[in-house]
Amino acid sequence: MRRLLQSLLLKLTGLGLLRITLFSDTYLRYVKPGLRPVLIASGVVLLLLGIVAAFSRTGNGGHAHDGPASGGPDGHASDAHDGHTDGAHEAHAHDGHEGHDGHDHSATPKIAWLLVLPALSLLLFAPPALGAYTAARSGAEPVAVQKKGFEPLPATSPLPLTLTEFTKRVQQDRSRAIQGRTVRLTGFATPDATGEGWYLTRIIFSCCAADSQTVKIHVYGSGSAEPPAADTWLAVTGTWHPAGTLGTTSAPAALDARLTTPIAQPINAFTDDLPITPG
Amino acid sequence: MEKTDELVAAGEGVAVVPVPPPPSVRRPRPWPLGAAVLLAAGASAVLLVGDSGWLDQPAVGAWRTVCLAIIVQAIPFLVLGTVLSGAINAFVPADLFTRVLPKRAALAVPVAGVAGAILPGCECASVPVANSLIRRGVTPAAAFAFLLSAPAVNPVVLTATAVAFPGNPAMIAARLLASLGTAAVMGWLWLWRGDEKWLRPALRRRHTGHAHGHSRWQEFRIGFQYDFLQAGGFLVLGAMAAATFNVAVPRAVLDAFSGTPWLSVLFLAGLAVLLAVCSEADAFVAASLTGFSPTARLAFMVVGPMVDLKLIALQAGTFGRAFAWRFCTATTVVAVAASALTGGALL
Repeated sequence: MRRLLQSLLLKLTGLGLLRITLFSDTYLRYVKPGLRPVLIASGVVLLLLGIVAAFSRTGNGGHAHDGPASGGPDGHASDAHDGHTDGAHEAHAHDGHEGHDGHDHSATPKIAWLLVLPALSLLLFAPPALGAYTAARSGAEPVAVQKKGFEPLPATSPLPLTLTEFTKRVQQDRSRAIQGRTVRLTGFATPDATGEGWYLTRIIFSCCAADSQTVKIHVYGSGSAEPPAADTWLAVTGTWHPAGTLGTTSAPAALDARLTTPIAQPINAFTDDLPITPG
Repeated sequence: MEKTDELVAAGEGVAVVPVPPPPSVRRPRPWPLGAAVLLAAGASAVLLVGDSGWLDQPAVGAWRTVCLAIIVQAIPFLVLGTVLSGAINAFVPADLFTRVLPKRAALAVPVAGVAGAILPGCECASVPVANSLIRRGVTPAAAFAFLLSAPAVNPVVLTATAVAFPGNPAMIAARLLASLGTAAVMGWLWLWRGDEKWLRPALRRRHTGHAHGHSRWQEFRIGFQYDFLQAGGFLVLGAMAAATFNVAVPRAVLDAFSGTPWLSVLFLAGLAVLLAVCSEADAFVAASLTGFSPTARLAFMVVGPMVDLKLIALQAGTFGRAFAWRFCTATTVVAVAASALTGGALL
């Protein structure tokens, strides 16, 4: 019975991983795209292991007795022997099942049952992607200082920029190339509890959702009177909102919006990239 | 854990006769673990799986997302680590490591520390591997040096550090030196002050994986399965703790501490323990903490791969709680000291 439960745990975990990687893009809510191959591999390994465990007869007992009796291959017969007895105690202390065979590897560690939670969660109720709640609570991350200097801006109008690029142009570009330019930024809406306008935000994963960073652009005059609902994905066209001195950190990363269009959530929602501008 | 150890120790005295205790004797269970697991399971079953009513609150959603993200991120590395440890147990000859490593334990420690650079994973992989090394007869001091250095100095992590701190080779050198130094000092500290009775009894007796008359593949499969299930459970526990901190304390609060240099070193070291960021990503997080001094950020990157909430849970599960809290406390102190010294010299 225990053998079947162990096998079930492994299979559930494996299936959970496969469901979010092979059959949907759900994994992108949690980790970076590059992790997909290893997640699939892990899912397959765990699923296979679970299947083998279910069909294996010897996994649960029997051998526990011949190990010590024949002595270890390294010749420490008595050591191996004691080791086995200890293993038995350990298994019992952990498992609470008495009177079963004593090999420590055949018992299910009690803590393993916690694996049911993420497995079922992945299979049935994959939690949503991080959104406005997280963005509103994180401070505006300081944007890395660009040392190389800035290329001239392309002539396209409206000019697509990532939120990070826009912030850098506003706060670090001494040539003030961004002045008067119409730009097109994409992100999701985060309400501003304190005042006028709202935030256009992107959450960027360094590795996974646990180490995400938030980039925010304050948006004024969204075109309609009401600020957009939290978590809506939008493309915003507009110009820099003049305040402070452009090209220094006194300039706010803010935009006067002219046009706000709802868009579908991009596939690479948690990178700072645009399809046309390599980040 | 003390309680469990006593029980098991008492059991050892009796178990000179190689017969398992009679079925009628009920051994008292180690209640703290049981109770903790039950409580955590109850609470999180509701939180992690449920999907209605107040569970749709954004805070709960964010908690579930962060918790799952840590688990999903770590599972491939955990699989890699447990496959490796299973393979070491089943296929590597028992005397290989004792032949390769220097005879003197004091010399074996730095060698094992440098060898940690081979394992290209994050910290979840190194715990089961270190465990199987000890079971294979490697002196615990060397195995612990490996355990600490493997996630911190491997090529993937150093490359990530170089990407996160462009044009700052001193930071990479400082991370390498401080991490190796901490690993070696902890190994020697174990030789000097360590006590094997803090370890799980199964580990003390150098229980070898492969038993005669038994297919090696079978041994491999069973060892892998057991290690994965156990470590996976502790990973979930650690991820829940880290997610709670992650969601409960907004990042904005952290910037309040960046003022004083000494306090900021201690603060970022503590933050590394609580956040449980994977060692392959922590350089990016450190790079984003721009308000803090370079030494404080170095401490974040040195402490993080060696001690954090999910690692404490994993180590407690693998080596025993008596070991885990002593080892993690000592490692934190040594790692902070090493970062302060290296940071003062190089950064």
